[in-house]
Amino acid sequence: MTNYLLRRSGQMVLTLFLIVTLAFFLVQAQPGDYAAFYSLNPDIPAEAREQIKASFGLDKPLWQQYLIHMKNTLTGNFGVSFGHYPRPVIEVLAERLPRTIVLFLSATAVSFYLGFFLGKAIAWRRGGVLEYAATISGATLFTAFTPAFALMMIWIFAFKLGWLPVGKFLDPLIWRGAEVTANHVFSYMLATAAAFVVFAFLTLLVARKSGRFATGRLPFLIIAAGAVAIPVAWAFTGIGYLALDILRHMILPIATLTLISFAGTMLLTRNSMLETMREDYVMAARAKGLPEKVVRDRHAARNALLPVITSLVYSLIFAIDGSVIIEGVFSWPGTGMTLLQAVRSEDLPLVMGAMVFIGLFSLLAHVIVDVLYVYLDPRIRYQ
Amino acid sequence: MTMTTADNQPLLKVVDLSLSYLTRQGPVPAVQSVSFELGRGQSLGLVGESGCGKTSVANCLMRLLPDNGRLTSGQVLLEGQDLLPMSEEEIRRFRWRRMAMVFQAAMNALDPVYRVGQQVVEAIEAHGIEETTAQARQRVARLFRMVGLDPQLMDRYPHEFSGGMRQRAVIAMALACDPAVIISDEPTTALDVIVQDRILRELKGVQRELSMGMIYITHDIGAVAEVTDRVGVMYAGRLVELGDTVDVLHAPMHPYTAALMSSFPSISGEKKALGTLPGEPPNLVNLPTGCPFHPRCAHATEECRREFPPQAQRGSQWAACWHPLNGAQESEQS
Repeated sequence: MTNYLLRRSGQMVLTLFLIVTLAFFLVQAQPGDYAAFYSLNPDIPAEAREQIKASFGLDKPLWQQYLIHMKNTLTGNFGVSFGHYPRPVIEVLAERLPRTIVLFLSATAVSFYLGFFLGKAIAWRRGGVLEYAATISGATLFTAFTPAFALMMIWIFAFKLGWLPVGKFLDPLIWRGAEVTANHVFSYMLATAAAFVVFAFLTLLVARKSGRFATGRLPFLIIAAGAVAIPVAWAFTGIGYLALDILRHMILPIATLTLISFAGTMLLTRNSMLETMREDYVMAARAKGLPEKVVRDRHAARNALLPVITSLVYSLIFAIDGSVIIEGVFSWPGTGMTLLQAVRSEDLPLVMGAMVFIGLFSLLAHVIVDVLYVYLDPRIRYQ
Repeated sequence: MTMTTADNQPLLKVVDLSLSYLTRQGPVPAVQSVSFELGRGQSLGLVGESGCGKTSVANCLMRLLPDNGRLTSGQVLLEGQDLLPMSEEEIRRFRWRRMAMVFQAAMNALDPVYRVGQQVVEAIEAHGIEETTAQARQRVARLFRMVGLDPQLMDRYPHEFSGGMRQRAVIAMALACDPAVIISDEPTTALDVIVQDRILRELKGVQRELSMGMIYITHDIGAVAEVTDRVGVMYAGRLVELGDTVDVLHAPMHPYTAALMSSFPSISGEKKALGTLPGEPPNLVNLPTGCPFHPRCAHATEECRREFPPQAQRGSQWAACWHPLNGAQESEQS
């Protein structure tokens, strides 16, 4: 396993190298002169211009520029953003990237859970009303034109019903006079979420190791208690209302993304379930006198999960890709919207930086799912 | 080789069992009025060509029917208790506890994502046979030893087992809850003959030792001779001959049994060309009138075409045939 991870890291470095190269030349291929644009930007003082020009080597031939750019990128120097001058690109991305990852990870998790749950249910009871309703609505939403559907969601839930904010990351009126910055609150929220996931995972692990498989509801009650304790604890911190504001802004984009994408997981799970339900081990599980739910969840669905997990990698990457559109529509200040704005305003260092980070995230997602697969399928062992 | 137990009540009694599958072409009668009895410690073989309803009978006994399967008549009395009218929850508690199964494809009867021992423990815990998981695991270790597997193997995954080991594990799993009846559905077909033979002997040994009733389903006459006390021959969903294994194999009464026999080589007997049985088993959707075997039978007469034959009795052996063969006669179909 360690060997495998080392080899994978090697491959990742190579792929990252290609991504950086591609990003560099794509940007170079844009109409307009990179160097001229740089030196003509009136927002940049003359001495700083010279300094940056030298550090980027903009007077040198293209191949030398490329080598310098590569060296800078690999040493973590992504340059300074034009649009956010004088903030370095890395700082802008460090602020924006978590917002994108949190939004799309939550949306992917919710839509995966919903899709898997529905897919499992409709395969188990074929031909029911649920099957038709879920398949038709799922397929319709799946094929809907994303920006139009997102706007429709905003129109219904934010404009007509007024339940949720129209877009953006936070409501400035609520935040006026707040003593902490949005980034601080957001990073506390991230830490809380991460701690909760670890807590839930450990609870399940302990429950599984310690007792019978029918351990009952206790572990779930403990996790539910944890879930209740978190908002209570936040309420006492005094910044709970700020976190709530960010959460309220997250609901609509997550719901939209979920509705668009759950059908993919659902239909895949359904087909995969129909395969595993025919397997002898499912018949054997039933013959052993296991309760129907155990046969369905622990045997049929557990095996049906494997191909679905594979597709999860692609849907994760697709989601990050789609962040440009969704973040644009919801004015969510994440990587996608940053990339879009940077392209529009020819903020070239930021464009390249954002591309590299999205690529890096996709690579990491791949590795994480590969590692996850080892735990899900004992037949797979990486040498 | 008696048919009933000392207390005069058979362990398992199947009466007039009929099963149909609902298909687009109409109901397909997969099993038609099958009746037999099985005593404690006794072993009954069910033989016949593929598609003759052997496995369907097994599935009826366990009430493991596909959604389109309909039981149209019959009783399955295990220790005097009828399984067929039971509710889904009642039958669930019954399965594996009193009647367990060794599956046809042992390769696939183990779930690939769980450890082998865990899959046996799961059955033990589902029926509350042992108090704790540790006790359940000890029980699995005993079962593993009984079928000739190293107990340390229980924490391995199925893909780490060889075919023979998996088959043994599946047998151990069937024994997990100390069942009264064990149904073996072609348990050794996927194995090579050496392993096949060894496992057959062990299965037989365990069955004797625990004094269980066993139903052994196969198309292999050799295996029937080795492990069964009585044998039933099935054709087109019907039981056409039933008797003590020795009698049936030495002096078949039904021409179909004789034809089956002549298509198997004998090591000790004289050297001769193996017989073949022309034609195929009939399409169950469109069964021939009368005796379903008549289109392939050399002895068929007018009455065979007209009406299903009554049972012709000879000692404890019977055959559903208008013209049963007498002992000396060999099959004329070759």
